[in-house]
Amino acid sequence: MSVDMAELSKVTVTSRPAPGTTMGRALRAEWTKLRTSPGTLGLLLAVVAGTTGLSATVAAACSGGTCGADVALTGVQLGQAVVAILAVLAIGNEYSTGMFTVTLTAMPRRLPVLVGKAVVVAAMVAAAAAVAVAGSVVAGEILLPAYHATFRPAAGSVLYLVLIALLSLGIATAVRSPAAAIGTVLTVLYAVPIIVSVVTDPVWHDRFEKYSPVSAGLAVQATGPDPLIGPWKGLGVLALWTLAALLAGAILLKRRDA
Amino acid sequence: MILVNGIRKRFGAAVALDGMTFEVRPGQVTGFVGPNGAGKSTTMRVILGLDRPDAGQALVEGKPYRELADPMRHLGSLLDAGALQPSRTARNHLLWLAHSQGLGARRVDEVLEQTGLGGVARRRAGGFSLGMRQRLGIAAALLGDPPALMLDEPFNGMDPEGIIWMRGFLRSLAGQGRAVLVSSHLMGELQGTADHVIVVGRGRVIADASVAELLNSASSGRITVRTESPEAPGILAAAGATAAPTGDGGLSITGLPAERIAEVLHRHGVTFSELAAHRATLEDAYLELTRDAVEFRAEGPR
Amino acid sequence: MSILRAEWTKFWTVRGWVLGTVAVAGLIMVFGLAPGMSGSCGKHGPASECKPLIGPAGVEVKDGFTFVHQPLSGDGSVTVRVASLTGEIFAGPGASRPGLAPWAKAGLMVKSGTTPGSTYAAIMVTGSHGVRMQWDFTHDKAGPSGSGPQWLRLSRAGQTVTAAASPDGSAWTEVGSTQLTGLPVTAEVGLFVTSPQYSTEFHEGLLNGSQGGPSLATGTFEQLTAEQGWSGTAWHTDWIGGKPDWSETPETEQEGSAFRVAGSGDVGPTGAGVSATQTLVGTFTALIAAVVLGAVFMSTEYRRGLIRMTLAAGPRRLHVLAAKAAVVGGVTFVCGVVAAAVVVVFGQRVLRANGVALLHTTTLTEVRLMVGTGALLAFSAVLALGLGALLRRSVTAVTVAIVTIVLPYLLAVTVLPVEAARGLLRFTPAAAFALQQAVKQYPQVDDLYAPAVGYFPLSPWAGLAVLAGWTVLVLGAAAVLLRRRDV
Repeated sequence: MSVDMAELSKVTVTSRPAPGTTMGRALRAEWTKLRTSPGTLGLLLAVVAGTTGLSATVAAACSGGTCGADVALTGVQLGQAVVAILAVLAIGNEYSTGMFTVTLTAMPRRLPVLVGKAVVVAAMVAAAAAVAVAGSVVAGEILLPAYHATFRPAAGSVLYLVLIALLSLGIATAVRSPAAAIGTVLTVLYAVPIIVSVVTDPVWHDRFEKYSPVSAGLAVQATGPDPLIGPWKGLGVLALWTLAALLAGAILLKRRDA
Repeated sequence: MILVNGIRKRFGAAVALDGMTFEVRPGQVTGFVGPNGAGKSTTMRVILGLDRPDAGQALVEGKPYRELADPMRHLGSLLDAGALQPSRTARNHLLWLAHSQGLGARRVDEVLEQTGLGGVARRRAGGFSLGMRQRLGIAAALLGDPPALMLDEPFNGMDPEGIIWMRGFLRSLAGQGRAVLVSSHLMGELQGTADHVIVVGRGRVIADASVAELLNSASSGRITVRTESPEAPGILAAAGATAAPTGDGGLSITGLPAERIAEVLHRHGVTFSELAAHRATLEDAYLELTRDAVEFRAEGPR
Repeated sequence: MSILRAEWTKFWTVRGWVLGTVAVAGLIMVFGLAPGMSGSCGKHGPASECKPLIGPAGVEVKDGFTFVHQPLSGDGSVTVRVASLTGEIFAGPGASRPGLAPWAKAGLMVKSGTTPGSTYAAIMVTGSHGVRMQWDFTHDKAGPSGSGPQWLRLSRAGQTVTAAASPDGSAWTEVGSTQLTGLPVTAEVGLFVTSPQYSTEFHEGLLNGSQGGPSLATGTFEQLTAEQGWSGTAWHTDWIGGKPDWSETPETEQEGSAFRVAGSGDVGPTGAGVSATQTLVGTFTALIAAVVLGAVFMSTEYRRGLIRMTLAAGPRRLHVLAAKAAVVGGVTFVCGVVAAAVVVVFGQRVLRANGVALLHTTTLTEVRLMVGTGALLAFSAVLALGLGALLRRSVTAVTVAIVTIVLPYLLAVTVLPVEAARGLLRFTPAAAFALQQAVKQYPQVDDLYAPAVGYFPLSPWAGLAVLAGWTVLVLGAAAVLLRRRDV
């Protein structure tokens, strides 16, 4: 490997960047990073395949007519796990390989890094989730006689998946170990709803249903007559949890040595 | 260019940095040397704003690193060549870094060529040897065409050809007027490369001097003469030198330069078979400097 | 052996893994001992005390029916023709609609006395399950199927009671016979009619459940005769377990040897209910911790190339994999057993103290719950370890493990209809939750034996076998790959 020393350019600090572009550059860098990570495309496809596949399977199992119309979007229950992987890896991979120090060397202001990641992850997940939910709706229309697509549950499910991604990103930022982070996220996604379902004390059961992230968030899918919490209000509760997780991640990120 | 002023940092009960202070000047390669655990990497992490110091500050071009916009245009750095996602290609690794500094793909291809990685740019970085990862790290450090560079143990894992390349590369960077800070725990690696050396031990600067000064202080003008003549010590003493037998038929002489010794012995008709000026290596100087620190560490209570 | 020891040392010297182990046990205990449920038993003075009726077999039973009977001594037999069985179903306060519960019962019974819960044997016509012989609440034996008028006969010889049925009163088929220990010389013999709570599933939003209400059955009997040592015509009616209070249950009408009897209630085991399974709810969180442990214990090797050192120290790769599986499986098993023991013993006390009517669990079953919980966690952790070796990425391995073990369960207890849920719990790794079923499911009681309340389609050990099968499959694939792949 020969090196042409003459190619080394002269020392000149190129023009100072205009203020206010830090955020834009962080966004562009994070976009390039996630785009060039070979797992990303596979995971986005898995979001679509998992969500649509499970929705269609459940719809087929329900075509006898014993299920409510909500089951058309059941696939979200699987899609959210893939979304969580994507979001956890978006930062967890950097922690586990040590590359996060390189990121912070390039972008020493830590908040724009997290915001950049959040925006890029949210955009990618939103795109995949839109396709996945559309697939589920189509499957429901074909397989479920009683089902008629409505806007709110479908759009709400896309937002739900985006919020789950951001919640996972916040948790992973705070926890750092990707395995511990995904364990925490999956506990929130799967174990908490099961535990909530066995709490039969009516007061506590209602509280958990209304204020635990997944139960409240999935209220946006509900078409039943008398939900415990309104659909958008439920999604709002999940958004608050997400915000709390991102804030916790941001505070720890700013305070901690990298 | 880089100014480190009184940095202190503790990790729990362990003191990592204990008032670290030095300055890195442009146009020369500054070696940053000390035994393992002396605080070299921690100092570099504090300079880069990765770790927060308990006291003191580090400035790059007069500003804390964290306040620099596009910091890689001011200071290029390489801390850990293994710190990359193995599944991403070398080019893509540099591409996101370039984008973070407002640079384009053209600059990426430039630094890939400069570091001799043009041929492997589209291969997964995870498959690189340690030496190739070091080159990739250097390429990342050069991306912003910075006036200052800071490299942590860049010789690690390099083959002899790579070491020669690295030395020439560092010299040429300094030759272009850049400030180059290179850490190592082996002084020998820096011989012939560094112009200036900062020796650290136990989180503090032990010596901060040019390489020439260090060598002079370590060699202190010792000369060995091998001769059969028993009068030689007397003759040399009369000429103002101090002579002591080395035990193997030689004399160790201080106080006179080599030319004067040769002249005096010649004038008195004393024959000698060898006259050698003893030149200290940087390694000798380093060992002499750090001996105290090492001894203190071995005996002292923690 | 030295590899096993090395892996054990590797395990306990990482603080995070030790903490994870503590988390496995801690999560089970936290959720198992917190009273997630409350009931009204004993909460409103001594009168509200829940004293479950316990049958001869030691399990909770129901014993409520209309009994047209008289005491008869010694051996003998009784015969009757059931001319018809009709029913009505409660449909809101003061209203009812026609409908016969599938397990409505009308027939002959011999019982040691009129005390609820006492030993008995009976032959009966049912709403839609044909002729059955049942005794001592938990036993059920099918006779001729089909509806329409039926002749029934019940004979006693000492402790032995034999039941027979006939379509025409002349050609008799024996349905079964049984020994009733504790049947006194003079027993109560006669007609009985009862009709249980009906239940139907509902699906509303993300919730599944059952709803139901009481039902009433009316049997028309002809030619009731006591013979072969028994005689007497002085039949009188008793409401065993108290008169049903939901509607005006008609009084018994008698015309010679013909009777019209109405009844409501059930004679048999108690249906689905809260059991010790409830105390093990923390298993779900503990399972995630165990899965993380298993996956990370393997995938960590691939980060920073530790695997090369491991295989340099022990080049036989399968031994390394086996040792890792043994360590992580062993640790999670012990944690699971210990934690389950604590919650099964003390969690049940907490629930009872909180007023919950908890179904009785035998000691042997309790031991199975403890060992089963340990096995469930251990196999899940080893499954995750295998996935970690296959995928070499802890995050993906953890997610795949959770999605295959916990998600089927979650879907089964929430959105899926009961049949689809049972299917899912037969072949996915979630089948192993059957290990935590504490009480038996009786086919002769119509109830929603849903996974959500702790009833699973497979037997406990068959459920474990499904999970173990998946684990072996994944571990086998991991072993093949580990042998072939360069590290």
